[in-house]
Formats: sequence, structure tokens, C-alpha cells
Amino acid sequence: MLASIPSAVLHGVDGIPVAVEVHVSNGLPGFTVVGLPDAAVRESRDRVRAALLSTGLPWPLRRVTVNLAPSGFRKGGAGLDLPIAVGLLVAAGELAPVSVDGLAFAGELGLDGSLRAVPGALAVAAAVAGATVVLPEASASEAFGAVPGEVRCASHLGELVTRLRAGQPLRRPAPAPVVPDTAPAAPDLAELRGQALGRRALEVAAAGGHHLLLVGPPGSGKTMLASALAGILPTLPPPVSLEVRLVRSAAGLAAEPGTRPPFRAPHPGASAVSILGGGAPGLRPGEISLAHGGVLFLDEMGEFPAAVLDALRQPLEEGRIRVCRARATVELPARFVLVGAMNPCPCGEGGTPGACRCSAASRARYGRRLSGPLLDRFDVAVRVERPGGTALVGAEGGEPSVTVAGRVAAARAQAAARGVRTNAELPAADLDRLAPVDGTARDLLAAEVGRGALTGRGLVRVRRVARTIADLAGEPGPVGSDHVEEALLLRCRRDLLLGGDR
Amino acid sequence: MGTGPSPADVAGAAALVGLPGMTPVRLARLLDSWRPAEAWAAVAAGRHPAGRDPRWAGVASGTEPAAVADRYREAGVEVLLPTDPRYPARLVGDPGAPAVLLCLGDATAAWPGPAVAIVGTRSATPYGEQVAAELGRDLASAGVAVVSGLALGIDAAAHAGALAAAGERGRPVAVAGTGLDVPYPRSNSRLWAGVAAAGAVLAEVPLGSPPRRGAFPARNRIIAALADVVVVVECHLGGGALHTAEAAARRGIPVVAVPGSVRSAASRGTNGLLVDGCAPVRDVGDVLVAVSLARAGREPPPPAARSGGFPSATGRVRSSRAPGAPGGARSADADAGSGACPVDGAPAAAVWSALAGEPRTTAALAEATGLPVVELARACRHLLRAGAVVEGPGWWRRR
Repeated sequence: MLASIPSAVLHGVDGIPVAVEVHVSNGLPGFTVVGLPDAAVRESRDRVRAALLSTGLPWPLRRVTVNLAPSGFRKGGAGLDLPIAVGLLVAAGELAPVSVDGLAFAGELGLDGSLRAVPGALAVAAAVAGATVVLPEASASEAFGAVPGEVRCASHLGELVTRLRAGQPLRRPAPAPVVPDTAPAAPDLAELRGQALGRRALEVAAAGGHHLLLVGPPGSGKTMLASALAGILPTLPPPVSLEVRLVRSAAGLAAEPGTRPPFRAPHPGASAVSILGGGAPGLRPGEISLAHGGVLFLDEMGEFPAAVLDALRQPLEEGRIRVCRARATVELPARFVLVGAMNPCPCGEGGTPGACRCSAASRARYGRRLSGPLLDRFDVAVRVERPGGTALVGAEGGEPSVTVAGRVAAARAQAAARGVRTNAELPAADLDRLAPVDGTARDLLAAEVGRGALTGRGLVRVRRVARTIADLAGEPGPVGSDHVEEALLLRCRRDLLLGGDR
Repeated sequence: MGTGPSPADVAGAAALVGLPGMTPVRLARLLDSWRPAEAWAAVAAGRHPAGRDPRWAGVASGTEPAAVADRYREAGVEVLLPTDPRYPARLVGDPGAPAVLLCLGDATAAWPGPAVAIVGTRSATPYGEQVAAELGRDLASAGVAVVSGLALGIDAAAHAGALAAAGERGRPVAVAGTGLDVPYPRSNSRLWAGVAAAGAVLAEVPLGSPPRRGAFPARNRIIAALADVVVVVECHLGGGALHTAEAAARRGIPVVAVPGSVRSAASRGTNGLLVDGCAPVRDVGDVLVAVSLARAGREPPPPAARSGGFPSATGRVRSSRAPGAPGGARSADADAGSGACPVDGAPAAAVWSALAGEPRTTAALAEATGLPVVELARACRHLLRAGAVVEGPGWWRRR
């Protein structure tokens, strides 16, 4: 007696189809799972047995072999409980094979037979294309409407078996609640007092997709600025929104449809795997993938382990992270705007000459925590200050996020017309064609290079930022000298982190 | 006395200073009522009552004092004992006087004649460095020995100023916290050599001593004891220069302080000293009054004397560390608030006036002027091109 039930397991953010083959034969009673199961799958034997007995279904006192095909890669997670149970019932003759024809299953069983949510239901449902997928009620709504195939749900094994036996149609899940986009609202820029420079840096970073470094003493509002960035980024286009949902679903987080760019702020103490992604055997997406399409904020950036910071270089370059393990490699999406925040020096007071009391050696040590190649990824860097008294009590609030977001969206549209996603991705070789500068701006840049204030790589970054500034000003023509002057003011310099006065 | 200590005593003293774990306090106790040669022999034999360190007897029995003395002679370093007529007279009888003083250069530079210590923070503002350099130069020109510690910042600027008045009567004297063959910080090594050539560099730690945390506060008491007046130019709250001021106050040596901006962290300590009753220093005249070389109620010196083009000595010191400040400090426009904006336009004028007195970060400028960032960038860079301001990493100041 053989049954084969289609299912899928999660691998990174993708589902991989798995056929659950169950064979029941005479022989010494036993239950074996083959096909590279991990510990959670091996344990499913006990959950399935208890669930069947609690539901009033018999546990076959015969030799049971479960094979997970293809058998070449390791399968993890409790999502195979339900297909194993259904396969067992079919193979044992409790269910007619025709009743599960065209159905795929995924879900975790409780000992009482209830069906529990599984992470990555969206990806799993997408992987079993061609079949109607049956999911636990708790995960079904996130997949409903987001995958091409049909989705059905059940909340209990008993309910499922009753309906299958009676030939009744299975329940359709309720569509996912549409979360209004204002729900996890980012702080509005209007709430920020003072901070003219930081505010402008945010706008430029959002418009051009430029990575931003904020340097400033404790209490200068770096965290506030960074979280306001998510509020002025353009809303997510549908394909990116789906990627964001896939990542969230795979990470076991709520994956409602939404167009709000995510904001993730991992703690410096978080492990490398939790930030970058990985972990056996499903290779769970890390914080940088959860920030896909939005903002990754690294507060106290110097406190992050150097290995983690260096591993950020590949995703910053390619917009994806490749997590490689001995048995498997997955690619996870990770295209985000990186916002780093650091104190200017160990005492935090550095800025102008005489303000800080750290020794030159300790300042240099502190500055070295960010490697040169990583610092090179930041197009925009500003020192922020604690707002003074007048700015804090001043009646005038800043511009609201909505206004700024409008300019940002317009600027991004100009960049898109150039054939790039954002100005930060303008290829260095094509700058003269895609982002030409006018005569005075060219002289200005040449003078800066001449006096040694700009390196070749710095020049490229200043030109990209200047293009973004011109886009924000609504300037369709070549980049002018005003735009270049502002880009020079906002550029990232290594010595920003060396205390500044030495 | 009179003829000075015997060569055996000098050799014994040199050897004692170099013992492992030796501190000024232990050395003073070892030599309290023993002549150095006797103390050395007693330590080597393990029978000195204060020579309890278990390492000493072993090291001492394997060390030949004459060889140590030769090493000092080869390095050009004098070993001065209080019985030596060249030992600074101001230190004789001082409660914290070093029992053995090592000297590179002319041992008699520190006395007789008036001496003024100029001390302050290592992370000084351009204002502080300029004032220290001017005071150093003007005091040296007035025949006053300038005593300082050869640290970064105020110390270095003061001695660079004193050296700029080379050939005149006042000689520079430095008290180092490291061995006399270990210039520290290394960026000051030229200045170090200059002070040794024109005056003297003193130390109480042996040749080869690396920088040690406790050695710098310890040498501050020698700086204070060597001076008739201690001038604190710029100092943070709780800064090391306040230790020098305290050591001077305990010895009854007057402390005077240079006032600074109430907004500058680097002037909090000095402004606090003024509140505590120290006399303020506006220029070298106030210091000369304090050392009784001039009478109070004098006319203020003509501006030219105060703000003449500053010699290259400071420029050399500064440019080795401050890439943003080429050509050294020009003191002409340093007085806060003075001077018309050299560039036309309201934004530039707003930036110029916001930069009066102290450097500011770009963010602080944006807040102070209220200018949009585009205009701020244009104004700052216009002033930069006109040579009116200096750009540091993330901050601006008037040139």
C-alpha cells in the first residue's frame, strides 16, 4: 500500500517541492523516515501518532516507511507532519486515494490533532504549483491570493479527514487583513526639531538610495533620524512587496500584504547568523533580508563584530546575500539603504577641536572599527549635533514627511528614466553620459581633486550624490556647481571618525 | 657640597634609578639617609631596610654601576643629585623633589633667573595653541625660562613659541614623563631635540622608560616646583594641567589662567580656575607682573606686539598633525567677533559671524545660521576658496 503526497519545505525564502511517500506493509510494526530528515521531521512520528489517536483514527500496527523525495537534500521543519499523516491514512486504507487527488499538504500537527502554523507558508504554497495546497488556517491567509494556485485550509486533522471522506469541499481561507499603511508609522520628519543637516542628508539618501553614515554624540537624534528614513522612502512596488512578504513569511513573521518599506535595527550583540541569515537546515533569512526594500539601521556600528560588518559588503554591492553552507547554498534578497550610526570618538563629544578628550591613539583605534572598504560604501555622511535650546523649543516644526516623500518619489522617477534603480547604482564608467556636469561644476571638481581633497573613488561618489541633489531640485539638465558644492559638504570622509581635530 | 658628589655616588644613583619597579617615592626612601654608592651596595647585598623588592638584589648583583654611568654619559645625559651644585636650586628642599634628576642638555638652564610653567590640555583648540605659542615666545624674549611637559597641544605650542625666540635669554626647560631617549609623543621629537639643544629636558625615570600612565601626573609636580608662576592656558574639567596647578598651589606658587570661551569644553578647567580666584592672563604682561618682572597698572602693549605674524615653529608643530590647517596659525583674526566678512553675500556673512570665536561643525552652523543646506554649502565653500576659513572633517573655523 503506497501513497505519495505532494508537499514542500522551506529553503531560504524559496519552497522546494517534496513528495512524501508512505509505504505500509506487513512485517514487524515500526516507523522509519528516510530521505535526509532532520530532527524535527524524525520527531514528527510521535506527533503524527498522537494526533491520529486523539482524533480517533487508527495507528497502523504494521511496518511503515516514509520517504521524502528527492532524498538528496536535508529537509527540516515540522511542516511535513500533515502530509505524513495524510499519506499514512491513504496508505493504510483509511482515506480513498481519489479523495486527496490534486491536493498538496503542509502543516504542523499538535498532539490533539490541531493544525499549527508553519513558517514560510507563502513560499511553500508557491512551490507546489499545479496542486491545490491545504494549509493550517493560521498560515493559509498569508498565502491566499498571493500564489497562482488554489489555497484551502483546515484547523484540525479530524475536520480535514471528515471532509475528505465525505467528499465535501475544503474551506477557503479568509483573505489576509489589509493592514493600513499607516500602521507601524515611522516618526514624521515634522516631529524632528532642528537637525537641518541631518534632515537634508536623509532626503538625499532616500532619493538616491545612498547609504548614510550619521556621526554624532549620544542624544543627538541619530536613531530618530534613521527611523524617519523609512517614512520618506517610496512605497514598495508589487514585486518587491511580494519579496518582502516571502522573507517575512520564511522568517516566521506576520506577512500581510503591504507597501511600507521595512525598517530593521538589529542590536550590535545579535549573532552573525541572525543578521546575515543562515542556520540549519532551512537557512532562515537574517535581518539584512528582512530589511530588503527598506532601511537597515546599525546603531553603534563600531560595536558590531568586524566579521559581520565585512560580510555586509557583498549584499551592499549586489543587493543579495549568498548564504553558503556545506550542504546547501541559498540566495536571499538584501537590497536596503544602510544607515550606520557612530559616536565620533570613544567619549562621544568629539566634533570640533578641543571638544573631546580622548587620546589620539584611542580615537584612531575607534575609527578603525569600520574598515576602509565598508566606509567606501557610504555615499553620504554627516555629523549631527544635539539640538540646541532654541531649536528644541522653537515653534516651527520641520517639513512633514509627506512633502519630502513627494520630492523623493519625483527624484526616483528621474533616476528610473536613466535606466538605473537609484542614482547610487549609476555605473562609474557611464557617469559622463548618464549624469553629465556643467562647466563650472567640472572646474570645481577638478580643483577639489587637484588640492587632494577628493580621490578618484570619492569623485564618483560625489558625482552620484550631486546628481541626486539635482534630481531633488527638479533639474533635468547637467549637474550644476551648487549641487556639487552640497554633495561635497555631505560626502563621507574617513577622518569624520578620527575625532576630527587631528 | 660645593664640589659635587663623587663619581661613585653618581654611578650608584644611575644604577638605582634603573632598578625594575623603581618609583620616585621608593628612590627617595632608599636615598633618605644613605649616600647613593652605599645604598647601591646595601641593595645589592640585600641589607637595605627600604630595599625590600625581591627582584632588586638579583638585578643589582649582576649590574656594574660604572657601566650604567657610562651609558648615561654616552647618551649625553647628566645624572644630578641634590648635592650637585647644578641640581636646580628650586627643587632643593621641595617635599616632592626627585632624589635623582636626569638631564639632557644644559643642566643649569632651569636656574637661576625667573621661570614660568605653561601647561594645558593635549587636545587644544587653535586659540589655545596660539595663546600658548605667543606666551612662550614673549616670555622667552623677556628672559624668562619656559617650563613645560612636551606633551601635545599646549605644551608643544608653548615650547615651539619659546624656541622661536631663540638666541634671547630665556631658555626652554622641559620635564618629560618618559626616558630621555624616548621622545614621546613621537610627533614632538624635533621639538624635543630643539629644547634639549637650547635648554634642558629633565626626567626622573631611567633611559629607555616607555610612556607609563602614572609618570605624567608625577612629573607635573616637578614642573610646578621649577616655576615661579604656573600659567594654565587651556584645560578641560579634571584635566592633567589641574594637577600641576594643584601642586603649585600646595607649594605657594601662584597659578594664573588664560580665560576662554564659555562654550569651549577645552576652557572649562581654566575658566573654573578663574572662578576659584586665579588671576587672569591676557598677554605676557600679566604673566610678567605675576613674576614681578613688571609693575601692575602698565599700559597695554601695542597690538603689533601681540599679533605679529607668528613664526614657523608653531606651523611646523601644527602641520604635522593638522592636515586641515596648512601654513600654521595666523593670530591676526583670532580675536572673537572681530573682522569684517571677507566675502560678499548675506549667507557668507551669517556663516562668518557664526564662526566667531570657535570652530563649529556643519550641523551646528546649519542650526546657528538657519540657512538651507544648499546655501550653507555654497557660503562655506566660497569662504574656503577665499582663504577665510579652514575646513576640517565635518567642521569649520576661521583661519
